[in-house]
Amino acid sequence: MTIKIAQISCGTEYSGIQSEIENAAATVGGKMVYPDVSYEEITRAVDDFGFDPVSPQLKLMIARAKALADGHYDADAVFIASCFRCAEGALVRNEVRRYLQEHARLPVVTYSFTERLKAAQLLTRMEALVTIVAKKELLARERQVGLTAGIDSGSSTTKAMILRDNEIIGKSWTPTGEVIGSAQEVLDEALEEAGVKFNDLEGIGVTGYGRFLIGRKLDANLIQEELTTNSKGAVWLADRQRGEATIIDIGGMDNKAITVRDGIPDNFTMGGICAGASGRFLEMVSKRLRVEITELGALADKGDWSKVNMNSYCSVFGIQDLVTSLAAGHTIEDVAAAACHSVAEQVYEQQLQEIDVRRPIIQVGGTSLISGLVTAVGEMVGSEPIVPENSQYIGAAGGALLSSGFLEGQ
Amino acid sequence: MIMIAPTSELTPDQLARFIHSLGYEISIKETCYGANIEGDKDLIAKAVPKIRGLDPNRLFIKVRAYPIGDERRCRAHHGSRPGFNQLEKEWMDLPFIEAGLCAVESGEECPEKPKRKRLSVEKLIQIAEEENI
Amino acid sequence: MKIFIMPPNSLILYDLVERFGHQPLSVMGTLRERVSGREMESPPLNVTPADVTKGLKYAGIEVPSGIRGRMAVWGPMIDEAEAAIIMHDTPFTFGCVGCHRTNLLLMHLIRKKKIPTIEVNYPEDEEEGKIMVSKIKTFLEGLK
Repeated sequence: MTIKIAQISCGTEYSGIQSEIENAAATVGGKMVYPDVSYEEITRAVDDFGFDPVSPQLKLMIARAKALADGHYDADAVFIASCFRCAEGALVRNEVRRYLQEHARLPVVTYSFTERLKAAQLLTRMEALVTIVAKKELLARERQVGLTAGIDSGSSTTKAMILRDNEIIGKSWTPTGEVIGSAQEVLDEALEEAGVKFNDLEGIGVTGYGRFLIGRKLDANLIQEELTTNSKGAVWLADRQRGEATIIDIGGMDNKAITVRDGIPDNFTMGGICAGASGRFLEMVSKRLRVEITELGALADKGDWSKVNMNSYCSVFGIQDLVTSLAAGHTIEDVAAAACHSVAEQVYEQQLQEIDVRRPIIQVGGTSLISGLVTAVGEMVGSEPIVPENSQYIGAAGGALLSSGFLEGQ
Repeated sequence: MIMIAPTSELTPDQLARFIHSLGYEISIKETCYGANIEGDKDLIAKAVPKIRGLDPNRLFIKVRAYPIGDERRCRAHHGSRPGFNQLEKEWMDLPFIEAGLCAVESGEECPEKPKRKRLSVEKLIQIAEEENI
Repeated sequence: MKIFIMPPNSLILYDLVERFGHQPLSVMGTLRERVSGREMESPPLNVTPADVTKGLKYAGIEVPSGIRGRMAVWGPMIDEAEAAIIMHDTPFTFGCVGCHRTNLLLMHLIRKKKIPTIEVNYPEDEEEGKIMVSKIKTFLEGLK
């Protein structure tokens, strides 16, 4: 089955990235389609929509969104994109996305691009869109059955978790080195803790950057991108499988903000351009402050970020500001708080503006163990996030949960 | 790309047949709005004035970016683009251009209309005050 | 003479310029060379990310990539232009195939170049059609 992804965009062709978009969709079994509208329909759509942008292509975006919402055009998912730094485009992109979420039950992803498109990130987004449509039944799974393992091969750490009959019986993590070696190591440790053998496993689910490599090596029955897998893992760990929620996953290298309805993502954004919005930033700060990363959160909780002047989110210049403020007599607690605030603020500016935040907020990923960052995110969004136990294992938990979906009926 | 204005009685079929009858070695594709022709630049240059002669003020011609039948720009594959919607609108308004061409042909004077000026603030105040009474 | 038309994809302006004996510089013509003359690296328009970088000649790095990509295609046409026709108040589907910011920059570049330029309004009825056509005809004949 080919998944039809409707493209609603401005500037992709003249940015030289249209073929990349089409290739990414084709790689994951999707096909980009373009809702057809007439001159008269564009005029009417813009009137009805009540937003009249000057640029014609943006009007066309509105008309195409309306054609989808009104059911005049058939598609399975929507990809909304416009040029990075275009104000008019950003306004329309967001309003069209809101409109579609209200009027059409289709998974949506928004994207602002430059000519330097990150192909891997685009692929993950497309894969997630296709997964949401194609594996709808699998994603509806709320209970793990049998004995399964999940492996999350992240850019900073690799995690494994063993589940049996919906209970965690083993888990382990290690900093990511050689991809397969790291995965094997954590899997062996988790198996040992669980007291089971590799051959006893009835299913393996793999996610994260190294998923294809590891998945092939271990003959996994589920190889899936981290957006949908992590969402399932997060709502399972937080026991919030029903209703709405927003998952904020700030990882070692990138971050994700995902809105879910009954555990299934309907909108998501991914960062990954700037280390300043990732766990790597906090890791670097810890090193400069000569404290363990595990201590940073507690220090931050005692500090006041507003006392420290940071002029940049950058992991070079921003951290220099922090070091300078230490020299100027600020406490290490204030500096740690300022570092957490900086990451939270950038995630808020870059990711959370592209989705409509729904409560509760579930904060996950390795950085959710840094309490100062959770506090900072909570202040930013005006609601204290839920941090489930084992919140750094969402990918592994999601992998183990979903891979068990293939067992029943066997 | 040759477009027949909506006011013309010429059909795409007649247009295409006329171009065929010129005997040039060029490709011709009849379309819903007229025809597309493609071939050696010199031959096209020779053909264009003759084609125009068929209905001078109601046939409009421009170059087209994509070759005939190119899937990259095929509406069936990619949906309509602003370029297509623009042609839709330009086609609707070709009678205005036809009127212009006929006028210049007959030497009709077509003076520009003076620009509409905005109402002065004083005048607006005056109207508002009158309305108040 | 080589006449830049604005909107650069207008059938009406292309036709009138050619009809009155000049060479229209159009986006379709430029794109045609791009999509048929050489290897297709970046379908559908064959505007590559490297072209977008070339657009930096006309607009800075803080300008969105879609504008720079358009300028990479249309900028050289303005460099080449010996005269220009700018049509205002076009229905919204007109323009540089989508982006009004690019339109504004193009108009500015044309005016800055100080080549013979005429600015007309898109006709809404026959009377305005007559005014526009006669203005364009007079302008183009005056260039000979």
